[in-house]
Amino acid sequence: MHNSKAHIWFIAPAIILMIIILIFPLFLAGGISFTDYNLGNKTFEWVGLENYDKMFNRKTYVKMIWATATYVIVVVPISVVLGLCAAMLLNSLRFGADIYKTIFFLPVMATLLAMAIAWEFTLHPTLGIVNSFLANGCGGVREFILGFHWLPWVDSQESWYAVACANNMDFPYWLKQKNTAIWTVCFIGIWQAFGFNMVLYLAGLTSIPRELYQAAEMDGAKSTWEQFKLVTWPMLGPTTLFVVTITTIRTFQVFDTIEILTKGGPSKTTYVMMYAIFEKAIQQNLTSIGAAITVVFIGFILVLTFFQRYVIEKRVHY
Amino acid sequence: MGTISLKNISKSFGSTQVLNNLNVDINDGEFLTLVGPSGCGKSTLLRIIAGLEQQTSGDVLIDNKNVNRVRASERDLAMVFQSYALYPHLTVRKNLETPLRLRDYNAFERLPLIGNFSPSKKEKTESINQLVNKTSETLKISELLDRKPGQLSGGQRQRVALGRAMVREPVAFLMDEPLSNLDAALRVHMRSELSELHNSLKTTFVYVTHDQAEALTMSSRMAVMIDGNLLQLDTPQEVYDNPSSLSVAQFVGSPKINIFKGTSDSSGTVSFLNVNLKRKSSESNTDLHIGIRPEHLEITNESNDNTFSGTVAYRENLGSDIFFHVNIEDGSNKIIVRGLPQFTHQISNGSGVNIKRVSNKALLFNQAGMRVQFNNAMG
Repeated sequence: MHNSKAHIWFIAPAIILMIIILIFPLFLAGGISFTDYNLGNKTFEWVGLENYDKMFNRKTYVKMIWATATYVIVVVPISVVLGLCAAMLLNSLRFGADIYKTIFFLPVMATLLAMAIAWEFTLHPTLGIVNSFLANGCGGVREFILGFHWLPWVDSQESWYAVACANNMDFPYWLKQKNTAIWTVCFIGIWQAFGFNMVLYLAGLTSIPRELYQAAEMDGAKSTWEQFKLVTWPMLGPTTLFVVTITTIRTFQVFDTIEILTKGGPSKTTYVMMYAIFEKAIQQNLTSIGAAITVVFIGFILVLTFFQRYVIEKRVHY
Repeated sequence: MGTISLKNISKSFGSTQVLNNLNVDINDGEFLTLVGPSGCGKSTLLRIIAGLEQQTSGDVLIDNKNVNRVRASERDLAMVFQSYALYPHLTVRKNLETPLRLRDYNAFERLPLIGNFSPSKKEKTESINQLVNKTSETLKISELLDRKPGQLSGGQRQRVALGRAMVREPVAFLMDEPLSNLDAALRVHMRSELSELHNSLKTTFVYVTHDQAEALTMSSRMAVMIDGNLLQLDTPQEVYDNPSSLSVAQFVGSPKINIFKGTSDSSGTVSFLNVNLKRKSSESNTDLHIGIRPEHLEITNESNDNTFSGTVAYRENLGSDIFFHVNIEDGSNKIIVRGLPQFTHQISNGSGVNIKRVSNKALLFNQAGMRVQFNNAMG
């Protein structure tokens, strides 16, 4: 036993595969990010941190980081909270829950490519259903509601809806306009992500023992809010941790909506990291800068994972 | 005060009737046990008292106030659940504090951080701490206060669940099979602890169990329920000695009561096997069930017209007693006889024995399972 080398033969295939497929590419990308290598070149030069220097100083890449951060910071909390609310509402339904589950889960199951094309039509500035819906509503109930005229401090002549109606139906161009594109993409991201979070939360909710709610009731937790604070939220802690981690990683990886709807524009407002990697490394054949962005991307994910692993996990498990 | 009255309580789930028109009056300070086989509706009844379940019809009165429309959280009852239902993310101390916090702090004081600015909060916190410390000393769980339920053994969790119920001095305690998750030795130990606790607290206990031994040992009165009906409500001794029906007699007592088929003739003389009872039945000329508990039968050397014989099929030695499972000679019955070890230790499986009954102990039931009295106590 002591001198046998047999164990090496047993673990070697797994380790070799792991190194070739998982670890080596990572180090390769890391290595390339310090060179000026482009795919197809015969030679390369070491350029040190030049690629990284570009990333944090060139406007394009600063915009990339902004776009990614905005997308993640908006989509993650809203889709998580919406998912939780939807799950709790469905959980309280006596019948019809299956229909709702199916409907909310549709965006998760459907091919995002097809869905994105549908969104593109819907949001088209002149032909899209959204803007024609808005245009037809000028002076009506839609203007009152969507123009926020029901809020006491909104002037019904000055609201964005009224102004657009007055200026020859000048409604937002949604995906083609600098100040709306990223928010529209975020909206689609939430629409797509929350169904999945809802299903995860539904699973979490069914695993909470009913007796805990009854104990809370006996202990004097009268309102739904008290019971939520005392039982539901803490018991969902592990689920929430999982949902937040998964959603964060998935939103960092957003690519298909951007590729189909905006191509990173207008003026790089939706230029998220995944799309930047694709554009630089594949389309423009700038392998080294693509590798540098990839390394930063992996860095973000790693930091998040470590934060989850060592900081939050201690507080949600019991 | 802690009286609970149930008036004409019925409950059905869809078309299934689980409780049939029950009437129970629970006195202040009483230890009342609801006992019955699984599925008899006893837990449902307890949950109706608690307010966790709504009765289909009938009234629940606590301290003579109708609480049909009062929520569980406002009935001022405390409940110990079978699964204990401790909050797994809170320490034992926080678990004990929860019922006090929810009741004593107002909504503002329960807010995180800014709630601490309330002038009266400090005082309330102090009194909560005192109550928690007092309760944990009574239950001997002071050293567990900083642990979480996941780090406790079953018995310790059970104490914490009790503590959470005790800490705010409710009108009555409701307990839903609190000992059923404990191992046998601990269960027996906790029976005496619960009784002592009841004696010192002098609060009303309503205790649900399927274990007739728990009911017999702890309660001041026990209510035997079978199939949604309340069959008998009396002191344990009375239920044991004087069961109102065959089902009660068979449910209460371990090992089970022996039932013989017999008849009464026109004079009321009851006969079964080859034996005639001396006492006369009040119902003559009918088929009867004769119930005799294992401890009212003896193994004897005599053989006369008051004994019957059989073969030992199985010998169950409990140390203090030996129970003999005996096949009666006519093959119709298998009965259980208690024997004292000092007289019967030499009897083994397969040996033939004569059995004598202790007089004045037989119970009569008619074909419908109702109790039939004897005409005179003598004989």
